[in-house]
Amino acid sequence: MANILLVEDDDLVRDMLTQTLERASHHVISAANGEEATERLQNEKPDIMVTDIIMPKKSGITLISEVKNRHPHMEIIAISGGGRLDPTGYLDLSESLGASVSFEKPIDNTALLMAIDLLLHGKKENVK
Amino acid sequence: MTSNHPQRMWLPYLIAVIGIMGTFVLAYLIKEDVQLNANIHPTIGSYHPTVVIYMVLFLGIGISLLVTILIWMIQQSRLNAVRLNLMNQDLQKSMAETLHAEETKSKLEIALLQGQKLQAMGTLAGGIAHDFNNLLYAIIGYAELSRQDVDKDSITHKNLGKVLDAAHRGQELVGRILTFSRRQHHDFAPIELKTTIEAALSLLKPTIPASVMIHFDPADEQIILGNQTQIHQVLVNIINNAVDAMDGEGSVNIHISTIPKNDPFLHAFPNILQQNYSKIEITDTGHGMDQPTMERIFEPFFTTKEVGKGTGLGMSIVHSIIQEHQGEITVTSQLGHGTTFMILLPMMEGN
Repeated sequence: MANILLVEDDDLVRDMLTQTLERASHHVISAANGEEATERLQNEKPDIMVTDIIMPKKSGITLISEVKNRHPHMEIIAISGGGRLDPTGYLDLSESLGASVSFEKPIDNTALLMAIDLLLHGKKENVK
Repeated sequence: MTSNHPQRMWLPYLIAVIGIMGTFVLAYLIKEDVQLNANIHPTIGSYHPTVVIYMVLFLGIGISLLVTILIWMIQQSRLNAVRLNLMNQDLQKSMAETLHAEETKSKLEIALLQGQKLQAMGTLAGGIAHDFNNLLYAIIGYAELSRQDVDKDSITHKNLGKVLDAAHRGQELVGRILTFSRRQHHDFAPIELKTTIEAALSLLKPTIPASVMIHFDPADEQIILGNQTQIHQVLVNIINNAVDAMDGEGSVNIHISTIPKNDPFLHAFPNILQQNYSKIEITDTGHGMDQPTMERIFEPFFTTKEVGKGTGLGMSIVHSIIQEHQGEITVTSQLGHGTTFMILLPMMEGN
């Protein structure tokens, strides 16, 4: 079981992911954008942050670089559906900023849960 | 001024000189004659000899000058006609040049407009694809959650499986839209056109009916910088469309040639580079297409195939791949007389 901060601006995806993660016995703290995530992080200490990239107010890219500075031990998973740019471009950028792993939407949730378990048990090298 | 000049511009002056000199000689002869026979001919007719000499001089010089002026005027009018003719030719030539320039310009404008339109559609498609990926993710996620809650043998479980199948098909479609809209950075490497085309043809062979003949006319070795898989995709899409346009019988001809960098043929394209190009022409003997279809052929989601048989993305992907290769693609077609796709790809310079 892990404490997971879920940052996603799409209500449907956020709710669906919350249910999925909770069913896998994780505790979910959710935020609708980067700014909300920064607020949550003042009181909460999650083990893992799962964040979308293209979001209003504060993007996932900014959030990842801030979190990596302030909480260097927190594991980060980046997710993106792309946009005008190639999502692998955003995702590559997230990984170079410190995300442990990244997924392109629509994601295979089994793979996402597996990645969370591996990160939780410190087997970062096996995640990919 | 030479003697073989068609206008003989010296002629009036020669006539004037000869005429005036002749008049003086004649006047001198008359004067000598009058002095010799002064006693016999005190008068000529009713005139005094000196008056006659002046009359001869006056008339002789006058006639010479008149003839000179006349010939000069005729020459000038002929010269003017020639000048006018030359000017007319010049005018016609410059009019033809202007017309040609206008045509080239309008072709360039159409090509640019087409490029901008496709780019705008790509941007739009990219934006839609992003939202669609989110929606599909929600659909897939909720369907999976619901499937966990129901009995594996129940009809609900089976139906939710169908929801997932449909969502996965949607996912594939979005993937194809993104191929069109994204500026993907594929790995480019030097590729040999002849072998690339042969490889694409061998890929296609099993799917082409035996009654459709494919002729490939390989030229000398032509090397371009590109992505082999993408070039395969281009050829497969165009040839498949050609085969579809033939209702089972006909032929597809593929011809490659080199267009040197200074060839005026290249002027009709807006984004052409200063280098040699490989030209690939794919001509089919299918049913061809009308002007409106031809104009929209590279637009995403434009299809003439029946629902479910074509996504309308094939040719737009072809267009975006050729653009990514800094190439050009055009189509010419006539209803009932087949279609020709012409692709230009910059050749690799040096080795």
